[in-house]
Amino acid sequence: MREVWVITACLALVDATSIQYNDEDVAPETEKEFYRVQGDLYSLCRIKLLRLAYLIGYGTEIERSPVNSASLSMLPWPKPAVWPSVPDDATSEVVVKEKMILQETPRVKHFGIQRKPLPLEPTILVREANQRRSSLSVGNSSEIFYGRVEFNDGLAADVPAKMPQADKAHEFMMSRTYSSPGNFDCSIGRPMRLAEIFVAAEHALKKTISNPDLQKILSSVENFEQKYMELTKGAADNYHHSWWKRYGVVLDGEIAAVCFKRGNFDLAAKSYEKVCALYAGEGWEDLLAEVLPSLAECQKSLNDEAGYLLSCVRLLSLDKGLFLSKERQAFQSEVVSLAHNEMTNHVPLDVSSLITFSGNPGPPMALCDGDTGTLSVTVWSGFPDDITLDSLTLTLMATYNADEGGKLRNSNATVLKPGRNTITFPLPPQKPGSYVLGVLTGHIGQLTFRSHSFSKGGPADSDDFMSYEKPTRPILKVFKPRPLADLSASISSALLINETQWIGIIAQPINYSLKGAVLHIDTGPGLMIEESHSIEMESNKKAGQGSVGTANSGDATKDSSVAAKDCSPAADKHFEQLCLVSGKIEFPDWASDVSSILWIPIRAIDDKLARGSSSGAPEKQSIVDRMRTIALKLEFGISKNQIYDTTIALHFSDPFHVSTRVANQCNDSTLLLQVTLHSQVNATLSVYDAWLDLHDGFTHAGQGNGRPISAFFPLVISPSSRAGLLFCLCLEKRTAEDENNVPPENILNIRYEIAGDRTIGAHPPVTMKSNENAEDTSKNLVFRSALVLQQPVLSPCLAVGFLPLPSDSIRVGQLVTMKWRVERLKDIEEKRVPQNNDKMLYEINANSDKWMIAGRKRGHVSLDMKQGSRIVISILCMPLVAGYIHPPHLGLPGIDEVSISCSPAGCHLVRVLPPAPSSSFCVPA
Amino acid sequence: MTSTACFIIVSRNDIPIYEAEVGSAAKREDAAQLHQFVLHAALDIVQDLAWTTSAMFLKAIDRFNDLVVSVYVTAGHTRFMLLHDSRNEDGIKSFFQEVHELYIKILLNPLYLPGSRITSSHFDTKVRALARKYL
Repeated sequence: MREVWVITACLALVDATSIQYNDEDVAPETEKEFYRVQGDLYSLCRIKLLRLAYLIGYGTEIERSPVNSASLSMLPWPKPAVWPSVPDDATSEVVVKEKMILQETPRVKHFGIQRKPLPLEPTILVREANQRRSSLSVGNSSEIFYGRVEFNDGLAADVPAKMPQADKAHEFMMSRTYSSPGNFDCSIGRPMRLAEIFVAAEHALKKTISNPDLQKILSSVENFEQKYMELTKGAADNYHHSWWKRYGVVLDGEIAAVCFKRGNFDLAAKSYEKVCALYAGEGWEDLLAEVLPSLAECQKSLNDEAGYLLSCVRLLSLDKGLFLSKERQAFQSEVVSLAHNEMTNHVPLDVSSLITFSGNPGPPMALCDGDTGTLSVTVWSGFPDDITLDSLTLTLMATYNADEGGKLRNSNATVLKPGRNTITFPLPPQKPGSYVLGVLTGHIGQLTFRSHSFSKGGPADSDDFMSYEKPTRPILKVFKPRPLADLSASISSALLINETQWIGIIAQPINYSLKGAVLHIDTGPGLMIEESHSIEMESNKKAGQGSVGTANSGDATKDSSVAAKDCSPAADKHFEQLCLVSGKIEFPDWASDVSSILWIPIRAIDDKLARGSSSGAPEKQSIVDRMRTIALKLEFGISKNQIYDTTIALHFSDPFHVSTRVANQCNDSTLLLQVTLHSQVNATLSVYDAWLDLHDGFTHAGQGNGRPISAFFPLVISPSSRAGLLFCLCLEKRTAEDENNVPPENILNIRYEIAGDRTIGAHPPVTMKSNENAEDTSKNLVFRSALVLQQPVLSPCLAVGFLPLPSDSIRVGQLVTMKWRVERLKDIEEKRVPQNNDKMLYEINANSDKWMIAGRKRGHVSLDMKQGSRIVISILCMPLVAGYIHPPHLGLPGIDEVSISCSPAGCHLVRVLPPAPSSSFCVPA
Repeated sequence: MTSTACFIIVSRNDIPIYEAEVGSAAKREDAAQLHQFVLHAALDIVQDLAWTTSAMFLKAIDRFNDLVVSVYVTAGHTRFMLLHDSRNEDGIKSFFQEVHELYIKILLNPLYLPGSRITSSHFDTKVRALARKYL
């Protein structure tokens, strides 16, 4: 037989070439070629061996793998001259073979995958053998048996591969034919049964084969298998050496099959893994689908849970058409049942090919810094059935760095339907930046799985394996922190101190909802909220105008906002009374998007009495004194996570600032006291009454109560204007002891009324319900201010008078005599001027840039102690610059300044002309 | 027209991106797998042969009993592999050339990612028509 010859020849050739081959000094090309040839020889040899094995009935032992099927079924049957017939004494062997055939049970594949086994024969052996025999011996006897079904069998036999339909029909026929006992006694005419064919072939081979090795190989199944392994390994190794990895790997698969059959699962799994890796890597799914179940079975037998699960997942992620849905469900149930059992190792299972996810189409979700949210993710499930995930975690990857962003956890059990699912994740606050989806991890029972693939949109796409990364789209944008709301005081001008005043706080959302916001109010020292009064809140009508004023970004927005303001009906304006609960106010819903004003009744307490100033110009009062602060904390945002803290300064003030001046002092110790009232607030004040409470030392002159004539009242004082009152006082005789006492203050009382708007500034105080009846003159407020009146008011003992200059105008460079007259107004008492009294120290002070002083600047003059004595001090000086300049000043260092009355009282100026043009230059020679 | 023919386009990454059974014979249940198997194995030979010639059409590179594998390699190393049992080499060459044109049109589609599966039904119809015409 040709097969035998080929096997022997191949083996011989392999041996011969191996001996000849020296792998040291050959080109790589040659080396490859050598290995390839050897691989070819081995594989040819292997195929022939398989064919022989099949002929003698070892077909059940041959793995029906694609490679075997392809090589055997496409190869025609050997065409011996005479098909062997069964020897006479072989009945027992026939029985054995028949038993073997009957015992043959098709191996049930794992997961209940049922496939039609791949054919190993080009045509059915029984028919082929019988037909050959009959055509040789009885002519066309085949037609006797098959004629009615197919009359063209003769043709079919010659071109078997082309007639697959015929094969099928025959197979059907055969199953009955060969098992039914033949009716013919004649061994030649009777069609042979399969077992008989096997036996006949075996006998014929035994006769043919001269090689004892080969005989031994074919004598038993075990020996055959051993040789088969040897040949397969040889072929695989050689192909690997020749870089024909696909050939080699396929043969590895064959080795694996044998190992598997023998129970050597470890080796089998390794080889299968190689095969799967090749097919999976190159994406040949049809082929992968064939091998993968076997690998899974090996792994299951090996208790390789991770590998087994991975294989299951890979099976599931193969194209849906490759497996029946029932099979796919079996894969899934396998995964689930394993997942719910005790898992020994917790390696995350990669299900990227099975569970894919993507963000929702459309622009990425935008969040402000610190906000929480809900992220909705589309998850595609490749499982054939619903699958329950015990938890799901999604990581976000920041695009700006490699750090993992936050983890989103959805700990609820989620049921994934096959296909598209939408899952929402609660989103904790994230750092600013933009994020893409990272990895999806989750649990099925004890099993951790992770998926890091993205699908763009459809399930069709998710099936497709891409070798390169898809561009990822940001799914979440978290903005940098920016002001989201603003709190400011609505009024900047002063409010009345010690009275309950409304303070307005403007709460302005900046493109952010203040829904459910809570404002904490914490007043600073010296400030208290009238809690008995409710807090008013209204929409801020100024906000619209304000935004118009500030919005200079574009006319369009300006116009639209104006238009919106104009057409907004009155109903749009909200007003609500709120209650302060433990320092907190909750915002109503309408205030969530519009700017609103919160009016809080508040009272600033200052127990210091207002103090009038006595000089001509009102001295600036320290603003800080009357400044009060109020700390505000606004909590808003979806989960009150946004906090805006601010401190607002409020300026409080008395209604008036009082300054006094003694307008005139008469000889009879009557004083005319001018009281100037400066309005300090931005409101109209009406003075209804004013009176002075004088302390000892002063009494009211005239009628007695010292009130200005009431016909002048009410005296209306406009904002920031001033008014004067004149009081007539006279001095009382005092004893010396009184002077040492600190003089008690004189109090100026002013009863007034205020008319103002709370949106502008000071306004009438909030009427308190509780103490409404306490004051009948409820509307009139009383302002008390202390005035300093000291007893020796303006009683100097010396008068210094600057005498007029001799000529109207003095010129630069011209000598002038400055004269002062010093006069003693009254007797100096002993204790005030203790030293020798008739000597008086004087000193001339002048700016040396402007004046040149000739003579003594400092000296003593004698002045008589008597009242009325006078002396003139003169000094020669020369102005240096032109203009209005201060003249030199005469000071008396030895005498207290308060006892000197100057005339003119304050600083004064003298006019100095430029130097006269020198005429000497103009005199003609 | 051949009775058995299987046409596969294999991307440069060895991934089959298009498969078609273009034979006139009725499809056997196991045939697809066998054909895939044969063609897959032939990739080994293509990888050797492709660099030995500048021609795109590599002619019949592998024989599997009575089935022949013809291969056409494009400039981008995409391989058109045809498993057939006819001897009409000219027809096969024309078939490959026309399919190459179609393939280029597919590549020019901006929505097609090179290396991904060709799902265009138009392409499929055209390829089958070409197979009827030339094979």
